[in-house]
Amino acid sequence: MRPSVVVAGVGSPYRLDDGAGPAVASAVAARLPAAVDIGPIAEPLDLLGRWDGAELAVLVDATRSGSPPGTVQIIDLDRSGTGAGTGTGGRAPSGTTSTHGVGLAGAIRLARALEEAPPRIVVVGIEGERFGDGEGLSPAVRASVAEAVRLVLSFVEEVHPCA
Amino acid sequence: MTSPDKPPSRTLSVEGLARVEGEGSLHVEIRHGTVESVALEIFEPPRFFEALLRGRRHTEAPDITARICGICPVAYQMSACLAIEDACGVTVDGPVAALRRLLYCGEWIQSHALHIHLLHAPDFLACEDAVALAALDANAVKRGLEIKRAGNLVMSTIGGRAIHPVNVKVGGFYKAPEPAAIAELGDPLRRARDASLAVLEWVAGFDFPDVEGDYRFVALHHPTRYAIEDGRVAGSEGLDLDAAGFAQLAVEEHVKRSTALHSRLDGEAAYLTGPLARWALNSAQLPDLVRDAAAAAGLGPTCRNPFRSIVVRAAELLFACDEALRLVETYDAPAPPALDVPPLEGTGHGATEAPRGLLLQTYELDASGIIRRARIVPPTSQNQLTIEDDLRRVVQSHLDLSDEDLTWRCEQAVRNHDPCISCAAHFLDLTVERN
Repeated sequence: MRPSVVVAGVGSPYRLDDGAGPAVASAVAARLPAAVDIGPIAEPLDLLGRWDGAELAVLVDATRSGSPPGTVQIIDLDRSGTGAGTGTGGRAPSGTTSTHGVGLAGAIRLARALEEAPPRIVVVGIEGERFGDGEGLSPAVRASVAEAVRLVLSFVEEVHPCA
Repeated sequence: MTSPDKPPSRTLSVEGLARVEGEGSLHVEIRHGTVESVALEIFEPPRFFEALLRGRRHTEAPDITARICGICPVAYQMSACLAIEDACGVTVDGPVAALRRLLYCGEWIQSHALHIHLLHAPDFLACEDAVALAALDANAVKRGLEIKRAGNLVMSTIGGRAIHPVNVKVGGFYKAPEPAAIAELGDPLRRARDASLAVLEWVAGFDFPDVEGDYRFVALHHPTRYAIEDGRVAGSEGLDLDAAGFAQLAVEEHVKRSTALHSRLDGEAAYLTGPLARWALNSAQLPDLVRDAAAAAGLGPTCRNPFRSIVVRAAELLFACDEALRLVETYDAPAPPALDVPPLEGTGHGATEAPRGLLLQTYELDASGIIRRARIVPPTSQNQLTIEDDLRRVVQSHLDLSDEDLTWRCEQAVRNHDPCISCAAHFLDLTVERN
């Protein structure tokens, strides 16, 4: 049996560039049905229970790092010093805005502690520019969606070489 | 060595409060053994939702206000609907009202399960956070997440999705869920109810500091049921007002240190909304299942120990599961799913019980239904003064603790009330180290 792959966009399509992750994830799933889109994930804790049984989870989230808008990068949540890397309750640095302090890294740490995390989790970041209310991506972010999709597909294809 | 008659001055400071919604900090000044000042500072940027609502159509209020909070969007939607319907002279009852209550139970289940297990329980088990708690007691955390999922399922089945439901409209719902879809909620809710009984037993066994607050409780009260989605505003000192009357009584003031407004009754008295207030005013209305389990957990008719709010929250979690199940089993798909609510010039008020306390909204409409003025009074701004009183009391009665332990205890005192300081957008605040 082939290992399963899930992709999930983290964020809200109704908060402008916060919707970058969901936009990339749905584009990946449309290109490659073997990659099941389990998002959009507005609350990272919702990953638990949704990714059960997956061999690989590729999560796509909007970032705010100071890089030029649209910059696509692979994020190592264990090492990057992200605001979301504060677990489910550690001292949250300014800017950590995930619901009730349970950020993406916190949700992943919790899932690992519960032994309910996929063996491999990759987080792809796409730098956002505007996070206010509304729909649609900034031009620079929209222009980078294709690059992010290619990057995600490259991870999926490692698991699904024939896909 | 400090002279016993003149203890040193101490300053406790927490710049980034953990395990609360949004960004806040707290500062405590102790001079010669006396608490001199306590400040819970909220520095979320003000969100101009009230201004954003001006000029929008009356039918847009539920969708706009749902964005204020990712944890309690239903509370915002329901208070908005009640206020708009009040302004337009429409009362929603029958199957539509029952479906609203079921949706609201879903929000209570997911919010209480989250707060109990991931945010509050770690405080009582010497765990830094839920990850540490998961290492200590994985089954307890898994049980909590399973209950939370049942709440999410209720919300997504009725509301269209678990966060920011899209099916709610002024007058009711865009579409009534199929009876078969509602029936499918039965098994998860039954499991969640059983699990909630175990949760109540679990939290009752925690060690609680011996602290009591002289609270002025304020909560909705309904003559025939535990108030969630409607009711009059009641208080521990005989308060009995409709939402319009309460809107006049609850006076907000701006405090320099905070971007949240502080509410006082009649501009003077601090008060407390939320689980402790609801319990004190309404617990006699709960079904036997909940009252018996709560009594076994050591809860009397009134609980004034804020640290024991986790036990009250667990009892309410059990109730929300039980009530949701009852509503599932008696579901009657509303037809039509919504009442028509034509605009009417005037002012309307709506109050409902968000998981963390009373949420009041007021709208002033013109004859064509355009919102001319909006006022939103969330639970946290109502509770903020009382939380500061709690902090003062907790510090004063634990001066023997080291700064580190006392600071930790202060953070717990804030978390006792599950403050919800902001809504959430989920971008990563990313700092990259470059060599």
